[in-house]
Amino acid sequence: MTGGAGVSGTLRGARRPGPAWVVMLVCTLLACTNNPYPDADADKKILYTSFREAPRTLDPAVAYTTSAHAITGAVYETLLEYHYLKRPYTLIPGLAAGLPDTRSDAEGVTVYRFELRPGVLYQEDPSFGLGGAGRTTREVSTADIEFQLMRLADPAVNSPVVEPLSNVLGFRDFGERLRVRREAEPEFATLPAHEQYADVGPIEGVVVDAPLGLAVYVASDYPQILYWFAMPFTTPMPWEAVQYYDGEDGRPRLADHPVGAGPYVLAEYDKQARYVLDVNPNWYGVRHPEWKAPAATYPSEGEPEDLAAGRLDPAYVGRPLPFIERLEARREKEAIPYFNKFLQGYYDAAGVIRESFDKVIHEGGLSDEMARRGISLEKSVEPTVFYIGFNMDDEVIGTVAQEPGRKLRQAMSLVVDTEEYNRLFSNGRGVPAQSPLPPGIFGYDPDYVNPYRLVDLERARGLMKAAGYADGIDPETGKPLTLTFDTPDTSAQGRLRFEFFTHAWRQLGIDVEVAATNYNKFQEKVRNGAYQIFMWGWVADYPDPENFLFLLWSDMARSASGGPNTANFKHPRYDELYLEMKSKPNGEERMVLIREMTDILQRERPWIELNHAEDYALFHDWLSNVKPFGMSFPTVKYRDLDAGARTRQREAWNEPVLWPLYALIIIFVAVTVPGVVTFIRERQ
Amino acid sequence: MLAYVIRRMAYGVIVVLGVLFFLFLLFFTVTSPDDVARKALGERVPEAVVEQWKVNHGYDKPLFPEPGAWTDNMLVEHYRRMLTFDFGRSDADDTPIADRLRAGVGPSLALTVPLFTFSLLASIPLALLVALFRDTYIDRMGVVLCVLAMSVSILLYIIGAQYLIGRLLHWFPISGFDADPRVVVRFLALPLLVGLVAGIGGDVRFYRTVFIEESNTDFVRTARAKGCGEARIMGRHVLRNSLIPILTQVVLAIPFLFTGSLLLESFFGIPGLGAITVDAINGNDFSVLRTMVYIGSLLFVGGQILTDLSYGLVDPRVRLE
Repeated sequence: MTGGAGVSGTLRGARRPGPAWVVMLVCTLLACTNNPYPDADADKKILYTSFREAPRTLDPAVAYTTSAHAITGAVYETLLEYHYLKRPYTLIPGLAAGLPDTRSDAEGVTVYRFELRPGVLYQEDPSFGLGGAGRTTREVSTADIEFQLMRLADPAVNSPVVEPLSNVLGFRDFGERLRVRREAEPEFATLPAHEQYADVGPIEGVVVDAPLGLAVYVASDYPQILYWFAMPFTTPMPWEAVQYYDGEDGRPRLADHPVGAGPYVLAEYDKQARYVLDVNPNWYGVRHPEWKAPAATYPSEGEPEDLAAGRLDPAYVGRPLPFIERLEARREKEAIPYFNKFLQGYYDAAGVIRESFDKVIHEGGLSDEMARRGISLEKSVEPTVFYIGFNMDDEVIGTVAQEPGRKLRQAMSLVVDTEEYNRLFSNGRGVPAQSPLPPGIFGYDPDYVNPYRLVDLERARGLMKAAGYADGIDPETGKPLTLTFDTPDTSAQGRLRFEFFTHAWRQLGIDVEVAATNYNKFQEKVRNGAYQIFMWGWVADYPDPENFLFLLWSDMARSASGGPNTANFKHPRYDELYLEMKSKPNGEERMVLIREMTDILQRERPWIELNHAEDYALFHDWLSNVKPFGMSFPTVKYRDLDAGARTRQREAWNEPVLWPLYALIIIFVAVTVPGVVTFIRERQ
Repeated sequence: MLAYVIRRMAYGVIVVLGVLFFLFLLFFTVTSPDDVARKALGERVPEAVVEQWKVNHGYDKPLFPEPGAWTDNMLVEHYRRMLTFDFGRSDADDTPIADRLRAGVGPSLALTVPLFTFSLLASIPLALLVALFRDTYIDRMGVVLCVLAMSVSILLYIIGAQYLIGRLLHWFPISGFDADPRVVVRFLALPLLVGLVAGIGGDVRFYRTVFIEESNTDFVRTARAKGCGEARIMGRHVLRNSLIPILTQVVLAIPFLFTGSLLLESFFGIPGLGAITVDAINGNDFSVLRTMVYIGSLLFVGGQILTDLSYGLVDPRVRLE
């Protein structure tokens, strides 16, 4: 009896939950679904998207990354915005009633006068209680923009855009006065920011001449300042939010709790995992659709391809924005799960990941498999340029070497095959660059072909000979010419990239040694001018040729001023043309200047232009009005989606397949039971 | 016993102080604050911004005590902060590290506690089962399966499960986490399953060895000779007498439930402390990494002491003196 009892006890033990039982139990409990969203949200107009890097800060004075701008650009409103469809990029009024009045005085100072829309409210927020008991919002005023400009100048805020905004009269002086006062009077530094600013201010070039009027005086010739008023850096900022969200007594920091007047409010925020943007009922576009404000109405004009792509659908044209009531973004650190969720319909749009590129893209277009799923592809060229630069201060390869140096650079440029480089390292994505200017930026000429960016080995060898380096032999040493390629990239992928270039130059007999170090050592070399060849890239802050061509302006030379002209290119005629071009409006006259600058770069070859990055965006057919923007600028308010169609597709694509589970259970039972039965018989 | 606990804690303090010193050497002498600042701020920011960042984070002070800075230096500051649990702010995003830890501990525990519980509930009975059927095909097949399960990398389990169960069979979401009670179990199901399958092979093998060794002892033979049933022998005599090695493994693991699982959290997008650690490694967020290593060492030392104490509880022969 005892034995029998023992056996039956063992059998009960054998039936305790094993992995298969756990799976079955959990599946039963959850009705087995891979839907990551609550069922109740299925028919809501929620745009599901993802982000990879957690935003460092959402303070618009500091935030400078794409992941942060996806939030700050939607929550904070700006005086100006970009037209959603027009290319080249065109500024339109945002919070401002119109584009600013511009006038220049005799002393070379340009004044931009903005007029703010009346009756624009901030989002509802408890911080406004500081301005009066029970207050939860208030009207936006130009004093809030002045306050934000003061924050940008404030050394304690540590904004990365102090440099360009220093073109505003008295901007740096204000920051300096603030610093000195704080050092002299530690008590003063403890006052709320707006009180400190009121005491030390104003900024000479920022004049609030009416509650809704703002004049900005720009000292130098810098019309590009307007682009900064289309970025969240210069958004109106309520002083109440800055004072209230200080991270003390359980209150979040302003860096984690934006308070703006934009089309969306940040409803939930866990920067490591998820955030939710809800439509802001106080947004001027929602409260005053009758204004038909350009940045609050779906555009009626665009490019010819917009018409073909259905982005000028009469059903949308002229309708008040936004269409999507909520945006929910989840963090996806791994590319494959992220892309699989897009294929399952749980993300509305996605990029093309390297691991699935061949499956998604076929001969430059969408594969049949993807097309059958109703997925669309939009390609866009980002306002970027990647290049190999030569240190023009170098004795062998730079300007000092005069004609032989120039010919050497020209020859090296002629053997770098960008098409092949793109094919090997970015799945063929990227537009081969002919000049610093990418498509979409004024001055880009699609017909221009740089003769030194064609691959021509024979011509390159001829140039080497003319430079005095026949077959790559340095006449001074009788050995192959040796150059150094400095880089802060020590990754395996980086090594392969550099081998591609060194292999190309080896065809000319040049021995290029790759010196890969950490970033700081590389910077030290750059500071000391101890480098010959480097690889670099630039992402535009704003869509103006000035933002690319200044990279080769001598005032920006790294050796002279620590600026971004790392090639240390100094060319008097180029400088002259640059300064003239900088202040000219887009037009034929500006184009002529740009052409001459491009010709100089073509001949002098301070850079070997590689490519302009190309973005491939995929989206499902239930999402409409998608146009990749290239720059870091949220476009969610223009998009729309058909939630019903999405739910139907998701259900069709994600029906749980349960037979393997049943098979597993049967196998488990079939294998275990005979053994147990035999064991019982033996024991009995 | 009290003297023993005090002595062990004193040893623990010395170990933790040593860990803190090595942490300081590793994090402050190998990488310069400039590197960390550039990583946090981006490469395009002006030098002045980098300098201000260093001041804000206290990285502008001398590394070691020196005349004029005997207390106002980075080494003293490092010890002060860690020993008072004032972890400061993240190098990467200025978030208070204490807030990050508070936010991360919930998701970590949501994964690790059920995983730990299910692992125990599955592996001990399975080990008893294969030990009970020792030298039969169930035992041999069990051992082969265990060795197979142990031999496969957890990464393969993760990728395979995401592809097979998430993508092809559509049972659970491929990855992600949402604390919303309506969906949270969906997100935890797959990482739990992977964690269970990946760990069960080793656990069952270990416990089986312990049980078999114990079942060959004299008192088991005596019990069998007296006619005691196999199930009773395994469940009451063998299991209870095998608790010391089981406790060594189990009690030591309990403190680490708080630090989460590096790989599971990272690959399944669970924002727990394990994922925070991996992010800190990838993002050169040294202040967070220092904190996590420090907390890990505290938990390890604490776990060791707890394990020793638990021996005394389960085995009256053990005297802690």
